[in-house]
Amino acid sequence: MKTPLTLTINGETVEALVEPRTTLLTFLREQCGLTGPKRGCEEGECGCCAVLLDGELVDSCLILALEAQGHAVSTVEALAGPTTGGQPALSPLQQAFVEAGAAQCGFCTPGMLMAATTLLEQDSTPDELTVRRALSGNLCRCTGYDRIVRAVQLAAELRHGGTQQGRTP
Amino acid sequence: MHEIAYHAPETLAEAMRLLAESGGAAQPLAGGTDLVLQLERGADPARVAVDLKRIPELQGTRSHGGGWRFGALVRMAELERDAALRAACPALVAAAGFVGGPPIRNRATLAGNICNASPAADTSPALLALGATVDCAGPGGTRTLPLGDFWQGPGQTVLTPGELVTGISLPAPPGRSGNAFARLTRSAMDIALINAAAQVTLDERGHFSDARLALGACGPTVFLVAGLTEALAGHPWNEETRAAAMGMARDAARPIDDVRASADYRRDMAGVLAARCLAQAIGHATGEPAAGKRDRP
Repeated sequence: MKTPLTLTINGETVEALVEPRTTLLTFLREQCGLTGPKRGCEEGECGCCAVLLDGELVDSCLILALEAQGHAVSTVEALAGPTTGGQPALSPLQQAFVEAGAAQCGFCTPGMLMAATTLLEQDSTPDELTVRRALSGNLCRCTGYDRIVRAVQLAAELRHGGTQQGRTP
Repeated sequence: MHEIAYHAPETLAEAMRLLAESGGAAQPLAGGTDLVLQLERGADPARVAVDLKRIPELQGTRSHGGGWRFGALVRMAELERDAALRAACPALVAAAGFVGGPPIRNRATLAGNICNASPAADTSPALLALGATVDCAGPGGTRTLPLGDFWQGPGQTVLTPGELVTGISLPAPPGRSGNAFARLTRSAMDIALINAAAQVTLDERGHFSDARLALGACGPTVFLVAGLTEALAGHPWNEETRAAAMGMARDAARPIDDVRASADYRRDMAGVLAARCLAQAIGHATGEPAAGKRDRP
């Protein structure tokens, strides 16, 4: 039986009717049209469905949509600013991913970006081990992780207006 | 996933009413990292999910008289951030830090980890070595059980239909005691090949007065190695007692062959982890960290 659900998604109040068995991932992708969170392993191993729930990194495949009742969800769609001239205004973190070449096939990237977002909120100058631990719930099958780690550290430096020197991954 | 009903009661009494009414078709839902997966795969026949997360009395960690009580909703990430708990019970905090990755630890609860009753659960040997008790509430009333009496086999607990875990308690650690956790695995996200936790208590000479060693993924449930205190009491930690403890751990282990490791390898490693976490627990008791390997992915 469909149940009313009210929550905040990327800063906007959303009201919907959902089947209780619907996961947050399915709800975001199929009812909200937010396809940033990816359907990967669907068992909490790969992290490509990761979103923020009240600011905390969670796997949306392991949460029923109704569990998010009254809570705030952020997806990768919230990171970039408004699109102008067909180009979205990338966040500094996204820009760092581009500059470091941190995406190859791109399937893990939304989850990686959300994991890095929570990390940089807690630790503005994370060392390499801290970055690797923060990303340990997100699998990447392409990059070997080095460029992703470098991108996160680059984003930290960009936030501080610093340079890249002395921070090798 | 089959059709389910979902309830999010705001009181424990209401949750217990919903669980009792469903005649065994309901499951309490805390972090959901195991249950949602089991519901999706049809592995759990539950038709009703009773979400506990809006119940205030199941939240939070309380410290009292040197002991601890964790409400059924306390998550792994909360344990990791608790500096006082880390100082007193590094075995439990280290174990919590090995569960899945950060997105799992932001949801998965300590109570859920013991209710899932996996023989490889990381927090289970730590809780067992630290002497945990489990508070349960159900249609027949409330009861408190030693954790060792809580599991019956892989995935099986003594919880009766309609009964749930409301919290987990740890007694105050004895004076001159220390504890530690160790684990073997290949990567951050993998389940433990085997794991172990120890709590030791030393006398004024620095010799053992008590020693508890719990082994995980070495049998159908996590268990304490029997007779360890009797074997070690009155003796110092040296090559002889180390070899004795390693032998007892190997003899007590009843592991299986599976995709992660062979039984022979697990049995051998039970000895290695026994020595490693006893040494670390002694280091915690004396304030001198044990040299050697850190089990950090």
